[in-house]
Amino acid sequence: MRDKYDFEIKYRDQILKCSRCGFCQAVCPVYGSTLRPACNARGKMLILKEVMDGHIDLNDELIDTLFQCTTCANCYQNCPSGVNVPEIIKQVRKDMVHIGSCHPAFTGMNEVLQAHDNIYAEDEPEDFERERNKQARYVYFIGCVGGYREDESTLATLDLLDRLSVDYTLIDEVCCSGVLEDVGFQINPRLVQLNIERILTTGAEAVITGCPYCFRTFNNKEQYAPLKEKGVSIIHISQFLKNVAMDVTTDLRVTYHDPCDLGRHCGIYEEPRGTIRKIAPNFVEMRHHHADALCCGAGGGVRGAFAKNSIAMARRRLEEAEEIEADVVLTECNSCVHNLSNAKLRKQKFKVCTTTAFINELMDER
Amino acid sequence: MEDRIKEALKEIVGADNYTEQLIDMVSYSYDASEHHHRPTCGVWATTVEQISRILEMANRERIPVIPRGAGTGLSGMAVPARGGIVLDLNHMNRILQISIEDRLAIVQPGVVYADLERALAQHGFFFPPDPASGKVATLGGNVATNAGGVKGAKYGTTRDYVLGLQVVLPDGRVMRTGSHAMKSVSGYDLTRLFVGSEGTLGVVTEIILKINPKPTATSTSMATFDNLEDAGRAVSQIMHSGIIPSVLEILGRDTIRAINQNTDLNLPEVDAMLLAETDGYTQAETEYQMSKIMDIFRDNHPQQVQQAQSEAEAASLWKARKSAYAVLARIKTHFVLEDVTVPIGNVAALLKGVEEIAARHEIQIATFGHAGDGNLHPQILYDGYDPAEVKKMEAATADLFRLAIDLKGTLTGEHGIGLAKAPYMTLEHDAAAMEAMRNIKKLFDPNNILNPGKMALEG
Ligand SMILES: Cc1cc2nc3c(=O)[nH]c(=O)nc-3n(C[C@H](O)[C@H](O)[C@H](O)COP(=O)(O)OP(=O)(O)OC[C@H]3O[C@@H](n4cnc5c(N)ncnc54)[C@H](O)[C@@H]3O)c2cc1C
Ligand code: SF4
Ligand code: SF4
Repeated sequence: MRDKYDFEIKYRDQILKCSRCGFCQAVCPVYGSTLRPACNARGKMLILKEVMDGHIDLNDELIDTLFQCTTCANCYQNCPSGVNVPEIIKQVRKDMVHIGSCHPAFTGMNEVLQAHDNIYAEDEPEDFERERNKQARYVYFIGCVGGYREDESTLATLDLLDRLSVDYTLIDEVCCSGVLEDVGFQINPRLVQLNIERILTTGAEAVITGCPYCFRTFNNKEQYAPLKEKGVSIIHISQFLKNVAMDVTTDLRVTYHDPCDLGRHCGIYEEPRGTIRKIAPNFVEMRHHHADALCCGAGGGVRGAFAKNSIAMARRRLEEAEEIEADVVLTECNSCVHNLSNAKLRKQKFKVCTTTAFINELMDER
Repeated sequence: MEDRIKEALKEIVGADNYTEQLIDMVSYSYDASEHHHRPTCGVWATTVEQISRILEMANRERIPVIPRGAGTGLSGMAVPARGGIVLDLNHMNRILQISIEDRLAIVQPGVVYADLERALAQHGFFFPPDPASGKVATLGGNVATNAGGVKGAKYGTTRDYVLGLQVVLPDGRVMRTGSHAMKSVSGYDLTRLFVGSEGTLGVVTEIILKINPKPTATSTSMATFDNLEDAGRAVSQIMHSGIIPSVLEILGRDTIRAINQNTDLNLPEVDAMLLAETDGYTQAETEYQMSKIMDIFRDNHPQQVQQAQSEAEAASLWKARKSAYAVLARIKTHFVLEDVTVPIGNVAALLKGVEEIAARHEIQIATFGHAGDGNLHPQILYDGYDPAEVKKMEAATADLFRLAIDLKGTLTGEHGIGLAKAPYMTLEHDAAAMEAMRNIKKLFDPNNILNPGKMALEG
């Protein structure tokens, strides 16, 4: 008899409670773009049930489904049996890595973060023409995607913060490394330590994150607990902007894409909408919104490991924007902006950007 | 399976649409029942020509083919009991035509129920069967299982809406049944023969569905009864009243208790709760119907009668019924969801009988279902890893089927026979009927390649 895997010890009952109703098939972005039932939550739970029953063992043959999950939690949201699939998947990935079975893109991500300070292994950080590591009331924490891939978006956000006279500073930030926990590895203590030190040095009372994923990591991962213990609160930019008066408006038809990390994972749905409604009276929801929102396809390491399907997931999301004839798709996550923009077809004339970047643009035009 | 057959399949559907990967084989072993068996391979077919060629070859080579929709069946219907080729139809998912003036929709089998519902809603129309699995189940699956739903009492089941089909027969021939017309008495009703045939006679590749205008107004009410007989009498009197509710649902005591233990709904712990909905095109019309139903509730010693005054209130009344399945699904590691159906006048007797069976076998059975058409869902909860509990579940199931037949009912009102109820077919059908069914199977599928091992057709 083999030793029990950690996923069995922690989640056996939950996995067995999957009644195979298949309801998750209707909402799983991976299924939606592949029509391959082995890849939806039921397919994943069945594999794990067969592993527990001793019919199969964890091995490379399972990578296509167990590593192809954006951890969007839409299945969990809709599961009559309450099976928390994303949490189970994260644990299984650790078991897989432990026995030496892992998607190369995920192994690569861990190696990069051992040697570098961000997931793109970029050694020259963009300085955003701003002084760093000042004493300030707030730290604005950009996140890797905003820092290295969507830098224009970040620059616009910083311009907006300046316009609003927010007393903030950037820091020499490093990857929060929370994503490693999702792809089979452990959060990186070296990076955690650097972030905590650099945040505390500024004397800030709060960290404003541009990235919903960093927001989750700082809030939920025990390694980052020292921040809260030192009285530093963590807020997402959408929460920060909630009570700020914006004296710009637009007639454009605007919609909002809920990032999974902010919506389903943190329950933040209304703050972004409150802000958007103030500036865009012509606000419309897409077919799936709030807790039912479709995933953009980028999360859980899927963009790196299954790029083609990741783009296909983003296309499905954008079809919903097209359906309601939106002019602008706003979201609160640079990773979503990145994937959705990459997936956008030439015929799709709407623009995709963060709320902050959009507001800044309206102010520019004024 | 020989390599040359695998190669031939790849040639037919394209290498990308063929799989024998472990993850797919595991996933295609199951449906929503407790049954499972591995297939040899799977194909994602996209055209009727491909399906015709696959069947033609499988028939020649005597290889089982199992048509598959969303795999939400509850009786092992899509489980490849003899291995073979899983024919996944989800890639054939186009709505081909919606013709409001002809009152019909033509769809491919892989269209998900909810997608058709959404497309029809734009025209103010709907396809009424409304199975609870409609967000995910396919119309091909609905046809092959004759799916029904909460609106069965007033609107019937899938069978009442299928005007015609395109079917690929096991030897590869493509057959059309029925017509585009609202009615037809032209020859034997082959369409109805295929509806509910559980993929054992042919593969449905196109469906012509009758559609209805969607009522725009509803009224909703709820009543609780300390005494099961009172609830049963209320149901019978509603039937006498001339009003046909669009929905009439019942929750039994064990279901109510389970809901209370697992949610904060705080329902009164009574013998039975009835939920009624009436529908129409004006509020006055639905209110009139509802007032008659509520009079009947009041005549039968209810503990409480309540009418929803707004959509939000209606939703909150429905919460108990809607949460039943999810609550019960979480209690034990395993459950079977039965769907025995009896004449409407026997609903109370069925509920009482189920309670007795549960007590006799010391097993938890919670019942809810469609009082309006006599279709109840006793959900038997057990631990599938405990052999003693499995035995109790099996004994209780057998008793339940006998009870339904004794009450002049049927083994299954919605979920089908598949593997789960195959051993009980002879309980309901006499020798002549069984022989007729087996002969029909032989006529269409002499080599028994289509979904073999189901519905006791081999006896
Ligand atoms: C939570 C839950 C609730 C449910 N509620 C209801 C309900 O309210 N009412 C109800 O009636 N059922 C209900 N069901 C059962 C199930 O959803 C229905 O039987 C549904 O019609 C099956 O559709 P499917 O696409 O999942 O078919 P599958 O399960 O994939 O297949 C079912 C059968 O149909 C055959 N089949 C599928 N497609 C074709 C085709 N194109 N040609 C020939 N044969 C085909 C298969 O071979 C199999 O025998 C429920 C199930 C669950 C899990
Ligand atoms: S919705 Fe939940 S219970 Fe149903 S198949 Fe998916 S994971 Fe299993
Ligand atoms: S978390 Fe999202 S991607 Fe992963 S199985 Fe669930 S629905 Fe699919």
